[in-house]
Amino acid sequence: MTTDDTVNDDPKRNPVHFDRHTPEYRHEFQAVTQELQSKCPIAWSETYGGHWVASGNREVFELARSAEFLSNDHDVKGERRGYQGITIPPPPRAKAVRGGFLEMDPPEQRYYRQTLNPYLSPAAISRWIPLIDEVARACIDENIESGRIDFVDDLANVVPAVLTLAMMGIPVRKWTIYNEAAHASVYTPPNSPDQARVVELQKAMGADLAMTIAEIRQAPRPGLVDALVRAEINGQSPPDDELLGVLALLIGGGFDTTTALTAHALEWLSEHPAERDRLSRDRKALLDSATEEFLRFYAPAPGDGRTFSADCEIAGTRFKEGERLWLSWAMANRDPQVFPEPDSIDMERKGNRHSSFGLGIHRCIGSNVARTVFKRMVTQVLDRMPDFRCDPEGAEHYETIGVIQGMRHLPGTFTPGPRTGAGLDETLETLQRVVDEQRLAEPVTVRKGPARIDR
Amino acid sequence: MKVRVDPERCQGHTLCAMRAPDIFELSEIDGHSSVIKEEVSDDQQDEAVEAVRSCPERAIFIS
Repeated sequence: MTTDDTVNDDPKRNPVHFDRHTPEYRHEFQAVTQELQSKCPIAWSETYGGHWVASGNREVFELARSAEFLSNDHDVKGERRGYQGITIPPPPRAKAVRGGFLEMDPPEQRYYRQTLNPYLSPAAISRWIPLIDEVARACIDENIESGRIDFVDDLANVVPAVLTLAMMGIPVRKWTIYNEAAHASVYTPPNSPDQARVVELQKAMGADLAMTIAEIRQAPRPGLVDALVRAEINGQSPPDDELLGVLALLIGGGFDTTTALTAHALEWLSEHPAERDRLSRDRKALLDSATEEFLRFYAPAPGDGRTFSADCEIAGTRFKEGERLWLSWAMANRDPQVFPEPDSIDMERKGNRHSSFGLGIHRCIGSNVARTVFKRMVTQVLDRMPDFRCDPEGAEHYETIGVIQGMRHLPGTFTPGPRTGAGLDETLETLQRVVDEQRLAEPVTVRKGPARIDR
Repeated sequence: MKVRVDPERCQGHTLCAMRAPDIFELSEIDGHSSVIKEEVSDDQQDEAVEAVRSCPERAIFIS
């Protein structure tokens, strides 16, 4: 047991078996979390070459904020100390490319974030709301007359993908190239026969990203890609392979996570129709706190790996330089010391200091995108299909929650209604013109006002 | 009641301004928080306390 002021008996002498990549971890998440938190909120597991597992809220908080002793570095070229970045174990393909600034330490990491912040701040994101609403409207219109929708395939995959591409400065009609590549690479287990298809999808996405970088270097157009090709990182222009890693991070962060949050929230609301109706009725008072509660409970990105960069003692445990650590945001979010009745959803929860966007200097840079897109999608679902019910038989969760706690499919039914506008393809053509003509993808320092969309 | 945001701790989670928009404002550039007015009026005290309790980085202090 750990207490506030005593140093742990060496947890390495009492290791736990922790493997978050197994389906059992998903099924037993609540029990595993309770067991770890009550017995060893900082545990040592022999899996994947041996690593620490932090599950207690206080422990995760203190560790995550100890940037002076923790490194995110992924030293893919063996130029520094050989650290392996934020995934445990590191996936084979990550050996080739560093995972953007999430696998960097300051000051490099800080330069990237400073470059991108003016595109991703709350003020920057609020400019995009009319476009987000219009994409969600078109997605719903594609299905509204039939009374059937797959909330993942037909809505929650589409809106985050289109918005992310628009913000990057990539034509939004290309969302299909990026969409399946981004999701399949997360939900396909490493040993699956489907891996060959995933590799092909990834190659197509990588080729389009490389082409986009070259195009924008030649003929600048506003967006995140433009910001990155013009950025000075440590006084130098970043090389293309590093930029590809950063862009892949933005896509990975922008696509699958918001989809996962939205799908899980809609599934829960369908299972609790009285709560669904209450959220719709009292949305002005409830939508913000309900969003934070869905974030806490479903933590789309369940954790991050780190490497200790020095011998240290944190939260009562001694660590050695080079040791690996898994910070479980998802488990920290269920700590009864901080969250009363942590395994229930309370849409009005107070004091909800969840860590679903991470803690410390690596706080999810897209958190404002995620919240905004989630709220706008859910609002339109509540408005236009208020009696929706998801089909539990057709709902398909990711087999494991080691990387993302997501869903592949979530079919639902509702009372049909009338269309209110154009379908998705036509809408995306219109919106591309709006993005280009109004230069929506400029940073908030250059362009202040919201998108203007005539319908 | 006085309220203060530690700029070294704040990472721009934005929850304080969501809970207490009359007390906190967010940087247009990176969403980091600062207080609009250090002195919190009596009718805003509950909001200020809730902002403190909601901050993931524990960056807000009241005195």
